[in-house]
Amino acid sequence: MTVASPSPTRAPVHLRHRRSVRRLSEGQLADLRQAIVLAQGIKDDRGYQYWAGIHGLPLPVSCKHGSPFFLPWHRAYLYFFEKELQDRLPGVTQPWWDWTQNHAEGLPAAYSRARTAAGTKNPLASSPIQRAGRRDPKETRTWRQFNRASRLPASAEVEAVLENRDYFTFQNQLENIHNGVHGEVGGTMGDISVAAYDPIFWAHHCTIDRLWYLWQLDHPGAQLPRAYLDTALAPFPMTVRQTLDITALGYDYAAATAAVPGTRRG
Amino acid sequence: MVDRYRSKPLELPAPEHHFERADLAFYDVDHSGPSFEGRIYIGAGRGLKRDAGLDHPAYAGSLYVFGHGSCHGDPGHCDIPEERDPFDYRLPHHLEPAPRIVTVTAAIERLVEAGKAKASVDVFVHGPEGEPLKTLDFSRLRLLTYA
Repeated sequence: MTVASPSPTRAPVHLRHRRSVRRLSEGQLADLRQAIVLAQGIKDDRGYQYWAGIHGLPLPVSCKHGSPFFLPWHRAYLYFFEKELQDRLPGVTQPWWDWTQNHAEGLPAAYSRARTAAGTKNPLASSPIQRAGRRDPKETRTWRQFNRASRLPASAEVEAVLENRDYFTFQNQLENIHNGVHGEVGGTMGDISVAAYDPIFWAHHCTIDRLWYLWQLDHPGAQLPRAYLDTALAPFPMTVRQTLDITALGYDYAAATAAVPGTRRG
Repeated sequence: MVDRYRSKPLELPAPEHHFERADLAFYDVDHSGPSFEGRIYIGAGRGLKRDAGLDHPAYAGSLYVFGHGSCHGDPGHCDIPEERDPFDYRLPHHLEPAPRIVTVTAAIERLVEAGKAKASVDVFVHGPEGEPLKTLDFSRLRLLTYA
């Protein structure tokens, strides 16, 4: 947990730190895996299958793609799913997969290896797909078709996207890169209706969320038009406005932050 | 959980205190069990029986609880969390106790006109077949009047 001062005008609070997948300690990775296993074991509306199903199947498909709400909706989705994981294992957070780095490794080992170091089945490598969530009755588990790491986005592409000053241009270009990663991982990840069943979906979307956060830091004040801010992000009890500040949602991508008042009073 | 509740005497509005409406507010009502009707009698004597009926002069109204019934989830699904993270913006747990309000204007007017200054509230719990059910649980009862 990070002790942080998200703003000079607010008291320090305990924010939960979302870490890079590649920087997880063995204990942090074990906790993530345990939280996923526990969530997979629950068959009701607190469980992994229910939350994966919100994105696509079973109907209705609730996710927002190609819409002004792509980034806020997925931020709310990650937030509420993470709350369920934290109910299973307090303090656990979802990691982000920086697909601009380590292309030689391909998918992060934490997600690609079939078994953990302890020899147990790796719950991040694949997931069952509930019967009602299958696009094909024979697709009972998630699978990947990843074989072209060289096609993952390069840092320079992402840097260029972050330079956009207009929210919609930024979001549109980021969504395009995001779409490409879904396609490159392939298999279950390549289809909106079932992508969220693959555990790597969450790490991919944490990266998208982190890039939005970095863009927000780079472009203070640039955001969605006011007309969109009070739109509810169904099915979540949250509006666009409530997603704009991740520190108000209790997490941060910075490992540690501190803030003090500046020269201005009031 | 009880199937019958009798309150301590509640203070009634003074005769000069005009009101248009009187409500009984039950706070933190448990709704985790079966549905039930709580028949409310105000100002009845101690000898009131559960079969007093709806035409009893002290009958004031009914508290209807649409109960959640049995849990259809996995273990823990219907356990109300003891504490929540300050950053937790999920809706309250579906079994969080809730306030319920029953308007009892006519009954309170009758008692005030009869010169009563205080009255007890009796609630008898009836299940779907009229059977007694030990399902009534709440933290506090208030009489509220509105001018």
